[in-house]
Amino acid sequence: MRYIFNFPDIGEGLEEGTILEWYVVKGQAIKSGQALVNMETDKIVTDIPSPKAGTIVAIYGSVGETIRVGSPLVEIEIEGVSGEEAIAVANEPVKEVIPEEEGAAGVVGTMELAGKSAILPASDEGSSKQKTEEKPVTKVQATPLARAMARDMKIDINTIFGTGPSGRVSKEDVQNFKPSKGSPERIQRTEPITRILSGDSVTYEPLTQIRKAIAKNMLNSKQSTAHMTLFDEVEISVLMGIREKLKPSFAEKNTKLTYLSFIVKATVQALKQYRQLNSQIDIENERMIFNNRYNIGIAVDTPEGLVVPVIKDADQLSILQIAQKITELSDKARDRKLSLDDMKEGTFTLTNYGSIGGIYATPVINYPQAGILGIGRIIVKPVVKDKMIVIGNVLPLSLSVDHRIVDGGEASRFMNLILEYLSDPILMMME
Amino acid sequence: MEYDVVIIGAGPAGYVAAIRAGQVGLKTAIIEKIYMGGMCLNWGCIPTKALLESAKVFNKVKVAEEFGVDGIEVDKLSFNWEKAKARSNRISRKLSGGVSYLLKKNGVDVISGTAKLGADHTILVDDKIITAKNIIIATGSKPKAMDKSLSNAPIVEMEKLFELELIPENIVVTGNHVSSVEMAQFFKLIGKKVTLIANSDYFMAGLDDYLITTVTKKLKSENIDLILNAYPEKFENGEIHIGGFNIKCDLLVNCNSRKAIFPESEIPLELTERGFIKTSDSFETSIKGVYAIGDVSGKSFVAHVASAQGIHIINFIKGIKGNFDSTTYPINMYTIPEMSQIGMTEQAIKDEGIEYKISEFPLSVNGKAMIEGNTEGFIRMISDKKYGQILGIQIVAANATDMIAEAGAFMNLEATIYDVAKTIHAHPTVSEIYMEAGFEAIDKAIHL
Repeated sequence: MRYIFNFPDIGEGLEEGTILEWYVVKGQAIKSGQALVNMETDKIVTDIPSPKAGTIVAIYGSVGETIRVGSPLVEIEIEGVSGEEAIAVANEPVKEVIPEEEGAAGVVGTMELAGKSAILPASDEGSSKQKTEEKPVTKVQATPLARAMARDMKIDINTIFGTGPSGRVSKEDVQNFKPSKGSPERIQRTEPITRILSGDSVTYEPLTQIRKAIAKNMLNSKQSTAHMTLFDEVEISVLMGIREKLKPSFAEKNTKLTYLSFIVKATVQALKQYRQLNSQIDIENERMIFNNRYNIGIAVDTPEGLVVPVIKDADQLSILQIAQKITELSDKARDRKLSLDDMKEGTFTLTNYGSIGGIYATPVINYPQAGILGIGRIIVKPVVKDKMIVIGNVLPLSLSVDHRIVDGGEASRFMNLILEYLSDPILMMME
Repeated sequence: MEYDVVIIGAGPAGYVAAIRAGQVGLKTAIIEKIYMGGMCLNWGCIPTKALLESAKVFNKVKVAEEFGVDGIEVDKLSFNWEKAKARSNRISRKLSGGVSYLLKKNGVDVISGTAKLGADHTILVDDKIITAKNIIIATGSKPKAMDKSLSNAPIVEMEKLFELELIPENIVVTGNHVSSVEMAQFFKLIGKKVTLIANSDYFMAGLDDYLITTVTKKLKSENIDLILNAYPEKFENGEIHIGGFNIKCDLLVNCNSRKAIFPESEIPLELTERGFIKTSDSFETSIKGVYAIGDVSGKSFVAHVASAQGIHIINFIKGIKGNFDSTTYPINMYTIPEMSQIGMTEQAIKDEGIEYKISEFPLSVNGKAMIEGNTEGFIRMISDKKYGQILGIQIVAANATDMIAEAGAFMNLEATIYDVAKTIHAHPTVSEIYMEAGFEAIDKAIHL
């Protein structure tokens, strides 16, 4: 049976990806779960594993090409599967066979994965023809010039049919190369993305993939949840003192100690007591799903748009480790080096708009999570302390919750606990 | 009797085609009038190069003392024409015998006689009529006859050169290409007074201008008179009259440009403007199932291309299809030093508007060349600027004709300057100049 594996939705709501590297060649035997190709999307770089075991008989798309979700990536010959069984295999949801996809969570939402891959029926006529035309080769032979040209023209040399001895690819073959009919839709990026219509009062720009994903997920969140936001503030002079004291020793470890690290810690500690905030609702099955892990997403503003890398098991990390993790993930986000793994499985999210200057916001929940905590800019203002007006350092916080899951009282108590931890950091260290 | 293939002419085009046909199981016959192995083995490539080798040895011996060999009295050295001829004949006979053996071994019927092409794929050989599904004409070429105005001159056709008992003093060679230069140098090397008359407008046509200049300078340095673009007017009192000059001439050697040798034919074959048999890309003539290869088709005039065509045509008949690359083959000249060229010339590259780079490396700094005492020469490599593809290579060196094979492999495999540079060449060898030219093309040669 010939199985066509289409580029799956890899869970971040993106619609296309660019091939960075092929790990397999035509004729190669592969196992289920073995990495086929390294793909780059607007947000991440990730390996796409094979959903089936078999032999690669065709590879679509060359390095540098953009492939749409749902377009063919490879064809896999699966020995000994035919008829109804073949159709059943083809229709299996890809999710089940891609280990990477277990518990997949996107950046700002998850997408359903469907078994959209197709089969080519095993007809004798077709297969015998295919066999003669596509002799399994381990690696294509090509002349040095052909390789140089293919590199230059961004064509995967392995996809070119060679007319030379033993199928060697020559200059002429590269020049004559045209993507075959079965190839996926290719999106040429040679034209500038921005098209300015001169004389018009508006400029049209096509949506980037990341913008499309953000739009879809934001709307989904707003339409699928009952948003409720509460605002509060906390005087953090003590925390500031601690931070100033610890900063040099952190700096020695090449780590920047930010307030965010403390807030992550405070949030995790609070989540542990208010598990409703670390859960999601499963309306369809009429149940709650409580997360036993505390994976805190950190919304990062990048030139391309919003991405949310996740600090996994933050409850098991020290402030130092959290600080290190934040630095690592932020750097990766800005360099677009986040992997799918870096972004999935978040259970609660923090968004630090204060670093840009905002005070209060109504953050949009990272669906299907239950809540998101917005962090504002620290404001120096008069506060009453021991019945005296003193200069205070005030941190404004905004907590959005899914009111379907979290009641107002619980949200307030959760917020209060965070305020308490931040006001008196020793407390969170003790618990 | 009906054959699958009948080949007319047993030169390097015909006999190679016949062997290949036999190998692939085609019922094959080859018809040859006189020379088994054709001009190449009998009065062309092999015997003339054998003569040149004798002349080279004659000259090398003169410098033996320099190499530490005493006892050679240069004054007493003389060139023995009879012995050189005999050696050349032995080599020819041996190779010619080898061809007969290979034809027999591969089940090819060898028919001696003159073929006449009849209608409906019939061939008349003397009184015998044979038919064939496929007929291959490989009858070759020979130098154009001298102008009638020179009919009283002591003309010798190359075919008859080996019948000469003595070589007189004043030699005039006519011709425009490699073979005429080789013969001119041969006579010079054995101590004769030589004039080379290039009696066409295209002296050394097809060679890179740079090589032509090198050849011209070489001839001048050896005191071989070269008369370009001129036509002998008459022969009178032992002298050739040409453009107001009178040149002493005891022997007029005909190395003129080639003219096709046609088989007799009852049906007319379409010809090219230049008077060769017109063929398609797959070497088919105007008659279906009748092919022409080698010199007679005028597509090239070198044995190695003729043989390659021979193999190609049999593959074609057998259904093994492929394109014949007629551009990448060496053109060799067996002079001292030898000269060789492969691929495109600089002029052709310019004409095609390709951006190119030339990298050169002289033999004067090559260790092996110094050891052998043959430091005259260079490699000249032309590569395309974009990918560094090797477009053409010219070599002047004592063994240039062998060294060029490497360039052929490079070009056939579409190598780039990077591949040439990173191919480790043994030291000391003259071929190290390839590597150096590769480095020079990328950046800088190491030993320059």
